[in-house]
Amino acid sequence: MMTHIPTNEGLLLAAILFLLGLIGTMTRRNIIYILMCLEIMLNACGLAFVVAGAKWMQADGQVMFIFILAMAAAEVSVGLALILQMHHQHKTVDVNALNQLKD
Amino acid sequence: MINGADIHLLLPEIILGLAAIVVMLSIAVKRCHLFAHIFSLAAFALAFISLFLIHVNGTQVTDLFITDGYSRFFTGLIIAAAFFIAAISYPYFKTRDIHKEEYYILLILATLGAVSMVISNHFISFFLSLEVMSVSMYSLIAYLKNDSIGIEAGIKYLVMAAVSASILLFGFALIYAQTGQMELSKLQGTISAAVAKDILFIAGMALVIAGIGFKMALVPFHLWTPDIYGGAPAPVSAFVATVSKGAAFAFLLRFFHDLNGSVHNSVWIAFAVIAIASMLIGNLLALRQQNIKRILAYSSIGHLGYLMVALLAASVVGIKAAVFYLVTYFISMLSAFGIVSYLSGKDNELYDLDDYKGLFWQRPWLAALFTMVLLSLAGIPLTAGFMGKFYLLLSGIGSSLWILTIVLVVSSFVGLYYYLRVALMMFTHSELPRQKFKGGSFVPASILLALMFIFLLWIGIFPGTLLDIIQHLIPAI
Repeated sequence: MMTHIPTNEGLLLAAILFLLGLIGTMTRRNIIYILMCLEIMLNACGLAFVVAGAKWMQADGQVMFIFILAMAAAEVSVGLALILQMHHQHKTVDVNALNQLKD
Repeated sequence: MINGADIHLLLPEIILGLAAIVVMLSIAVKRCHLFAHIFSLAAFALAFISLFLIHVNGTQVTDLFITDGYSRFFTGLIIAAAFFIAAISYPYFKTRDIHKEEYYILLILATLGAVSMVISNHFISFFLSLEVMSVSMYSLIAYLKNDSIGIEAGIKYLVMAAVSASILLFGFALIYAQTGQMELSKLQGTISAAVAKDILFIAGMALVIAGIGFKMALVPFHLWTPDIYGGAPAPVSAFVATVSKGAAFAFLLRFFHDLNGSVHNSVWIAFAVIAIASMLIGNLLALRQQNIKRILAYSSIGHLGYLMVALLAASVVGIKAAVFYLVTYFISMLSAFGIVSYLSGKDNELYDLDDYKGLFWQRPWLAALFTMVLLSLAGIPLTAGFMGKFYLLLSGIGSSLWILTIVLVVSSFVGLYYYLRVALMMFTHSELPRQKFKGGSFVPASILLALMFIFLLWIGIFPGTLLDIIQHLIPAI
């Protein structure tokens, strides 16, 4: 039996983490930090699912969390490959270097 | 639990999954571009044929998937589009100095993600298929890895798609927290009047709208679109414009339909505002573009806005109109990007509007097809796009959505201007030498483009055939 997790507090924590990640992705200029902030956002979603699953006494929330972890890992591995190429071409990990595509 | 009888309902997905593995293994044995190309075409063809072998009437395959006429129609549409994209990719990549075989693995996997998305009936399956599609698309967009524009587009898409996916997930988490249900078909039963008014539930719906709106590139979540279309290889742009948007729209239509009537009015209003903004802003921003891929990007934003009108009509007529319009949109967009990639040379693409000056005087048939496509996108009578728009208007009027319908008509007129600007460019005389349009001598791609031309005319003149198919497969979702 799962011990009781207060739902609202749990969701609030998840929302705060999510916002921190969102702010990070928008303000950081270093692409590696942006990827880390994306991880924070995805894990905040995972936390929200776990809290919601605990509220309904279902395992679904935790199952979702495992899927989120797996997909986040896949996403980051592709992201790192792209960052390698970016570093190869621009010799920097600053996203401001990506400015060729514009109106 | 899944059982043997259910397995065959997932035949198209299984075929695509196996095909990706076979292409991957074949690369380990020997690299051969032609084999990878022909094998992926065969896999798409086989997956398409397998759709006719399964007889479905709303069967749920575990909690995760549902196979009904609606999902079958969209699966067929997506696989056909992927077949076309694979076919035009061969001449495009043939002359390029890169590893070409992996492209087909990624294309098959992205298609697998898209077809699983349209049959998903659960948050988990939707999220997984969305990510399978997105992660493959990151690499597809950045496939020409020596091209710095491609890498830039790939990274931009990665960051924005990941942000939107997590926004979508957070929305799902909030909905799940309030309803305790992740299955779409059972979701409506759990939404009581109290839940529908709950602030967390509405917040969850808003986040889901934002997440799916990003995938469909609706205003205000559209900012990535022109950059990605412009930076990606033309066949990949075609994929982003059609398959990924179509799959997201198919899911949204099912989601909206399953929730019908039980969502708060504010959700409906949010969708209406998004639809109006997409129609107007998409068409207005396209006016001042010089890059044909960016024009198509903005035009696709407008087209998805039109589709939202049919979604908001929330009627059976609306669903059919949306499906019909999506088919015409697929055909037009695929042909447009097909021509762009058909004409592209060894290391460059013809994307500047001025590059198309005088196309008619050198490649009259190609110019005729492109004109046809542009007229269809603009919605001129006797083309497929006109019939599509006609049914959209019909569904909008049928549900008394006056403002949305008026905006649709007005923005269509705005669109006319920039479509005709491109068409005019092709008919202008130019003194440039003939070899300017050096690409485009690959017979299978020419046949497919000719086929698209026939489809555009056929649907425009005899829409009944397509309507009958839709009527037959989608009596109701």
